Parts: sequence; C-alpha cells; structure tokens
Amino acid sequence: MNVNEVISSGLLESYVLGTASAWETDLVNDLCKKNPLLIKEIESIEEALIKYSSQSTATINSEVKNKIEVKLFSAHDQQAPKEATILALKDQNKTVRLYKLGIAASVIFIITSVVYIFSLQERLNKTGDKLADVTSSKISAEEELKAQQTSLIVLNSKLQILSDPKIKTIGLKGMNSLASKSALVHWNSATNEVYFNASALPSSPTNKQYQLWAIVDGKPVDIGVIDLESDSTFQKMKAVKNAQGFAVTIEKTGGSNAPTMDTMCLLGNV
Amino acid sequence: MAKKQTYNQDELIILIRERNQKAFTYLYDNYSKALFGVINSIVNSQEEAEDVLQNTFIKIWNNFASYEEAKGRLYTWMLNIARNMAIDSTRSKHEKIKTKIQSTNDTVYQKNNLFVDDTAHESIGLKTILNSLKEEHKLIIDLAYFEGYTQEEISKRLNIPLGTVKTKVRQAILTLRGLTKTEFLQ
Repeated sequence: MNVNEVISSGLLESYVLGTASAWETDLVNDLCKKNPLLIKEIESIEEALIKYSSQSTATINSEVKNKIEVKLFSAHDQQAPKEATILALKDQNKTVRLYKLGIAASVIFIITSVVYIFSLQERLNKTGDKLADVTSSKISAEEELKAQQTSLIVLNSKLQILSDPKIKTIGLKGMNSLASKSALVHWNSATNEVYFNASALPSSPTNKQYQLWAIVDGKPVDIGVIDLESDSTFQKMKAVKNAQGFAVTIEKTGGSNAPTMDTMCLLGNV
Repeated sequence: MAKKQTYNQDELIILIRERNQKAFTYLYDNYSKALFGVINSIVNSQEEAEDVLQNTFIKIWNNFASYEEAKGRLYTWMLNIARNMAIDSTRSKHEKIKTKIQSTNDTVYQKNNLFVDDTAHESIGLKTILNSLKEEHKLIIDLAYFEGYTQEEISKRLNIPLGTVKTKVRQAILTLRGLTKTEFLQ
C-alpha cells in the first residue's frame, strides 16, 4: 500500500474518529513510523474534526473549567490553603486533645497502680502473718500429736506391764502425817520389777524426798527415791526379790541408807 | 496571555504526565469546545452536556496513565471518553423515560428518527463549514464522529455499500478541511 492509497482508503479518517479496528490502528501506527507525511495528514484530519465540532452555537459556561480545576487541583488552588490551615488546626487540636487524654489516662493508671500495689502489699503481709500462725499451730499440733503418741505408747507399755499376770498391786496405807493418803506399788514377782504410783501423794516438804523401801526377811531394803517432778503415776523403782511388804519414809533429798523410822508415812503388805 | 503557546502532541503528553496544571489549562482551552460539540450533539440539554464535559476532563486527567501513544492519537482517546460518557448519560436518562412511556422498539425507532431530524434541521449551527457540507456527508460524519459508528455499521444502517461510506467519510472531512479531492491530489 503506497502513501496515496493509504490516504485515499479512508483508513486515516477512521483512525482519528476512533472507529478503526485494533489491527487497522496498528497498521496506521506502523505506516506513520515510515512516512512522516501520514502524520501530517492525520493531524490535518484531526484539526478539521476539532474545528467541525467546535462550531457549535452553544457556549460552555465558564464555571465548568473552574469546577474541574477545583476538583483536580484543589490541593494547589488559592482556595485550598484556607481549608488546609483549618484542617491543620483541627488536626493539631485533635493531637493536643489526644495528648491530654493520654496523659490523664496515664496519671489515673499510675495512681490506680500505686493504690493497688499498696493493697496487694497489705494483703501479702496479712497472708504472711496467717501463714506464720497456721505454721506455728501446725507445729504445735504436730508436737501435741507426738506427745499424744508418746503418752499412748507409754500408756500401752504401762498397760502391758500391769496386765502381766505376775504383777501384784499392793496398796500402801497412809499413817502419821499422811494418815488419809494412799499409794500403789506394782511388783512383778517373776521379774522383780517395781513400779510406784504416787499420784495421790502431796508434794514432799522442802529439801525432803519420799523414799520407797521393800521389806525383805523383815528388813528394809532401799529401792529408790520418788521423783514427783517426772512421772508420779508410774515410776520404775529398783528391782527387788521376795518382798513381803513396802514402806515409804520421808528422807533428805537423795535418800538415806537406812530408813528413819519415825518419818514412815505409808505401809502395805504383799 | 498575549503570546499563545502551542504544544505538539508529544510535548503535551509529557506535561500532562507531570500533572502540570498548565497542561490542563492548555488541554481544556484547546479541546473543550470540540469535545463539548460532540457531547452536546448526543445529550439533550446544555446542562447535561456541561456535566458530561466536566466528568470527561476529570476522567481524562485522572486516567491519563491508561492512555498509550502507540494505540492512537491523544485527541482520539479523549474523543472516545467524551463520546462514551455522553452516551452513558443519555442511556441512563433514556432508561428512566423508557420504563415510563416507551417500549424498547419505540426507543430504537425514535433514535432512528433522531438522526433524520439532525440532518433535517441544522440547529447545531455550523455556519460556514457546515453549509458547505452536503446533507448526506453530514449524516455520515455525524454518525462516525458523534456516535462512534464504524464504517461497516454506517453501511448497514444507511444501506449504502461500504466503499461508498469510506469515500463519503473522506469527502466530508476533505470538505471540512476546506479542500476538494482534486486539490489534495495535486
């Protein structure tokens, strides 16, 4: 297709009118690259069309251009700075308000936190105290339990001792100063063990102690002093064979080798 | 303002791509009347035409990234936008009217009459040039230019052979250029 053929084909007119197909458009673009004359031709077709449609009696309201410019360039427009400043101030106020709000919130938060920390501290102290109480009462309970267990063991052992068929319990009758009193002696005739129950006895005079004697072949044999401080109900004494009776005298602390006969206060026969 | 600056298409495209407000001013000053003429021939009122023109320029400016020089002339691209927006505008108005009073067939019929009417009275007011344009040329050029009909579509619509349409489009534009076929060929 030579240049004149292209020009007279009506293709260029379609091209400018926007009614050419895609491949026709491509063809014209390619031809234009080779022939600057075609560009001139296209430009004059375009110019003619522009002139044609511009020949309208109707005129465009001058406001239209302004409206478009405001929409497209309002950021750079003279009217814009006003709006922009107002916006900026608003923004600043907003920011300041936000800061104030933030600071207020922080202060409230800090105060609340401090109060909370104090109350926590107090509660922690109380809890600590309670824990100490509980711990100590637990310890005392444990101690009590241990004591109970011990006394139970002791009681059991006493029971065992007393339930031995060989055990003889001898009641000692009071006389002289202890006329209304009594005491018990548990004597095992097989093992010779002696246990003394002084629970009914009053405490001995100062610097004096009760001393227990066994009567063997009519003669008193020392079988130990009574320690009222430790266990007054079941005190183990020295073992003795063939006892016919038992007697208690009041002696100086630590006991005597021979009984003081006029201080004898308890006596009983097997 | 005394000296009138002119840009060729390539220079203008560069300025528009820089989002230069001067480029917009130039674009508007040089093309708004032509595009308005196209729009005004499609829509029904001055007010509507101005609205469409405004939207057209906003779309041209904001969618300029989608213009490709390799696909055709800048003016052709702008013309397509203006034409489509004007047609869309009448279509949305037409839809409203149509549902009220007319059936689809009536609308089509009336649209056909519209073209005939356009040729009958010359209210568009192209004084000097238009008067030199033959009625059949004006009909064809208006269908192609204002309505965006392809030459094939014009051929079918007016029941004229395609070759004749091509010749007539060409002759019409030559007339508008103030040229005759013979003048050009010399």
